[in-house]
Amino acid sequence: MTASRRTPRTVVLLRPVPGRSVIHDLWAGTKLLVVAAIGVLLTLYPGWVPILLVGALVVVTARIARIPRGVLPSVPRWLWVLLFLGALTASFAGGSPHVFIGSVDLGLGGLLKFLQITVLSIVLLGLGGLVSWTTNVAEIAPAVAKLGRPLKLLRLPVDDWAVALSLALRAFPMLIDEFRILFAARKLRPREPAATARERRHRMTREVIDLLAAAVTVALRRADEMGDAIAARGGAGQISALPSRPTWIDGVAFAVVLAVSAAALAVELFTPLATT
Amino acid sequence: MHPAELAHAAVMAALCAATAIIAVVVPFAAGLSVLGTVPMGLLAYRHRFRVLVAATVAGGTIAFLIAGFGGLMTVFNCAYIGGLTGIVKRRGRGTPTIAVAAIVAGALFGVAGIGFLLVFYRIRHLIFESVTANVNGMAAVLSRISGLEDAAQRLRDDFGTVLTYWPLLIIASSILSIGSVTLIGWWALSRVIARLSGVPDVHKLDFADSPGPVGPVPAQLRDVRFRYDSADHDALGPVSLTIDVGEHVAVTGPNGSGKTTLMLVLSGRAPTSGTVERPGAVGLGKAGGTAVVLQHPESQVLGTRVADDVVFGLPPGTTTDVPRLLAEVGLDGLAERDTGGLSGGELQRLAVAAALAREPALLIADEVTSMVDQQGREGLISVLSGLTKNHRMSLVHITHYNDEAESADRIIDLTGNGGAADNVEMVSTAPAPTATSAHTRRGGSPLLELTGVGHQYGLGTPWASTALRDVDLVVNEGDGVLIHGLNGSGKSTLAWIMAGLLTPTQGTCLLDGEPVSEQVGAVAISFQAARLQLMRGRVDLEIASAAGLDYYDHSQIVDALAMVGLDPAIGLRRIDQLSGGQMRRVVLAGLLARSPRVLILDEPLAGLDAASQRGLLGLLSALRRDAGLTVVVISHDFSGLEELCPRTLHLRDGAVTPAPTRAEGVS
Repeated sequence: MTASRRTPRTVVLLRPVPGRSVIHDLWAGTKLLVVAAIGVLLTLYPGWVPILLVGALVVVTARIARIPRGVLPSVPRWLWVLLFLGALTASFAGGSPHVFIGSVDLGLGGLLKFLQITVLSIVLLGLGGLVSWTTNVAEIAPAVAKLGRPLKLLRLPVDDWAVALSLALRAFPMLIDEFRILFAARKLRPREPAATARERRHRMTREVIDLLAAAVTVALRRADEMGDAIAARGGAGQISALPSRPTWIDGVAFAVVLAVSAAALAVELFTPLATT
Repeated sequence: MHPAELAHAAVMAALCAATAIIAVVVPFAAGLSVLGTVPMGLLAYRHRFRVLVAATVAGGTIAFLIAGFGGLMTVFNCAYIGGLTGIVKRRGRGTPTIAVAAIVAGALFGVAGIGFLLVFYRIRHLIFESVTANVNGMAAVLSRISGLEDAAQRLRDDFGTVLTYWPLLIIASSILSIGSVTLIGWWALSRVIARLSGVPDVHKLDFADSPGPVGPVPAQLRDVRFRYDSADHDALGPVSLTIDVGEHVAVTGPNGSGKTTLMLVLSGRAPTSGTVERPGAVGLGKAGGTAVVLQHPESQVLGTRVADDVVFGLPPGTTTDVPRLLAEVGLDGLAERDTGGLSGGELQRLAVAAALAREPALLIADEVTSMVDQQGREGLISVLSGLTKNHRMSLVHITHYNDEAESADRIIDLTGNGGAADNVEMVSTAPAPTATSAHTRRGGSPLLELTGVGHQYGLGTPWASTALRDVDLVVNEGDGVLIHGLNGSGKSTLAWIMAGLLTPTQGTCLLDGEPVSEQVGAVAISFQAARLQLMRGRVDLEIASAAGLDYYDHSQIVDALAMVGLDPAIGLRRIDQLSGGQMRRVVLAGLLARSPRVLILDEPLAGLDAASQRGLLGLLSALRRDAGLTVVVISHDFSGLEELCPRTLHLRDGAVTPAPTRAEGVS
């Protein structure tokens, strides 16, 4: 979104990191499947070993894809404060394991639980980030069309979904631009005076409806024009000029992910290292 | 699904995803996700259920790509609640129904949540243990404070009890949250639908899958008249004409003469009276049929990658020689490029390439150059005029530019045919004036001072791109400055910086010696998309709100309208019934009523016809001359701006250049 002085690094949406790598060349469907599979794995077995193994996988993949550290949005200070408070209260809870420093008995159980869920969230975010940092937007919809093909047996309109997705991805940056202008226009207007809390509440609801109505009007216009453009092309059909299919590199990627998942599962199911 | 359904699903999905992403990514904005229910609700209200499902899949995928599982869940929730409110609204039910439905929906959602946590019990244990640790930690701290020992113990015990009955907790919180969000969403949707009742449906082309052989030309129109539903006069006709195989016909005429209506009839709309004879079906978008290129460059293009756009919509299995088509329209080697980075002219040429991929027998170009800059226009016209030579194709080129019509074999002038011909003048295009020094001082004291201004987007990220570098500019009181540049020259960034909406990453932009970014509102800016600046439903409410006037003091509003040459009676008009030129004037009325120090106009003439352009320029020139208004115009066009803006500043690739930029040649 727009730059502001408090957050020097802004979030850049739907644009892969410039450059090419093996990870960039993976089929988009592979990346989506892997993220979904790992998501399920971590939800089923959110133990330390699976989290750390997947975390290592994320870091190694990011290295291979040559993703610089600058992709990460700056973490606002209040989030650090919040994390610190959470860690602090959790560590007061104590619990096993215990560590003795001199004569002081520190129960780390609470802190460890808090850390586990925090690291889990970070790993999941990083996993999702990897997909958007390395995938060209244009490859997503064809991959979804191919992945969803089995669903056609259930008579689900997968092709329509893929077309809607590719059009939505096309419309998204345009709408974001329009949002920017909308918010800027709102910033330029004088604020109505409001003395009491009741007046302030009224003003807020009015502003919200104003913004919403303007955004929806613009979106409807955009949609009408887009509908014309689709009609001019004779309706929906192909969405991609290039073939969308996995290659042997995807096989390798799947094998790696399978190995990591199997290792994590084995630890969780059969060894005393299990933490779930 | 039909084209209109697909388009609405896609745009509303993008809108919902954008809201959801902001709600997830931006701190403390979670409440915004409630607003994401409105686009989904609108979709459920206006379309079939499957459209809502498609939008959920599309929006969910986008939100997932950007904001991860949280984004996906937010879009899903918006669709769930929005769908509910939309369907109840469509059935014409009221608040009691939605209240009951909200409780049921909340309970169902809670049951689904319990099911999830039962299956994934390990994550449930982890979450519960982690929260318990936080609570116990807090209790441990409390128990150290004398007097609070009991409270600490109770906190620990009660929390444990609550967790034992977690399914109840989930159901209750689900009913509470889903219920309240549904009610807020219902309220917002009702308000928005009430506001939208005046939004015109601007869709033009009808989609018809007609059987039989395709053969749009030769087309013979006899005494064709066309009248839109609920209109009181004919928009076109009576008109008799023939479009032969392989000829290049230009259709001219002022706004309101029925040029676009003729396009509709040629592309398959049945006329109100008269006959249209063709050898076969119109075949809109079909191989050998009719192809249409429309006015708006951005909405024409449907693919995110150039090559994908060329083939978009072709029947599955068709093979297309994309490089050849791109070469023909002068976009060689751009197949892999992102369509988001193309200029208006390039986008329109891409639309021509997509039309050519269907090898149409008839190509209709409807005012394709009106939103394109001078250079883009020249390139586009040279592409169009070559078409009938290289293809067995008839070309109907609808235009309001004189010079564009001249390359045609034949010109059809619709003047006098239509009902509401109110403007018989054609726009002519002007050459670029030479740049004047950025520091020329004329008269007044310096007002806006830019020193070494540079701006970089995405600073510190791999996507960093420089939009502006080292711009020095002084705008004096009463000045008129034209900032001219092509797409991507950084002129809009400069406008945002001068209005204080962006803080430049280098240099300073001062208004009266203070950073302008600390005085947002002192410099007025009129954006190219005037509609985005109009937030109220009616003209008088809009002006009162934009100018900070008292709505009940009507004389001020009348004055504001008079200043921009609008009749006071327009005050009661709905915003969505205004023409493009009127919208721009209403925006100006709101801005000028606050007596801004500087007025910035971003592409003030784009999309206006000749008379509106001339009227607006006359108005602005008079304000500058008589009222001493300081004006900065951002434009890729020059025509008629000499009087308003005696000074010109050329921007190219983010830097000030002495000479105007020239168009690159187009094959």
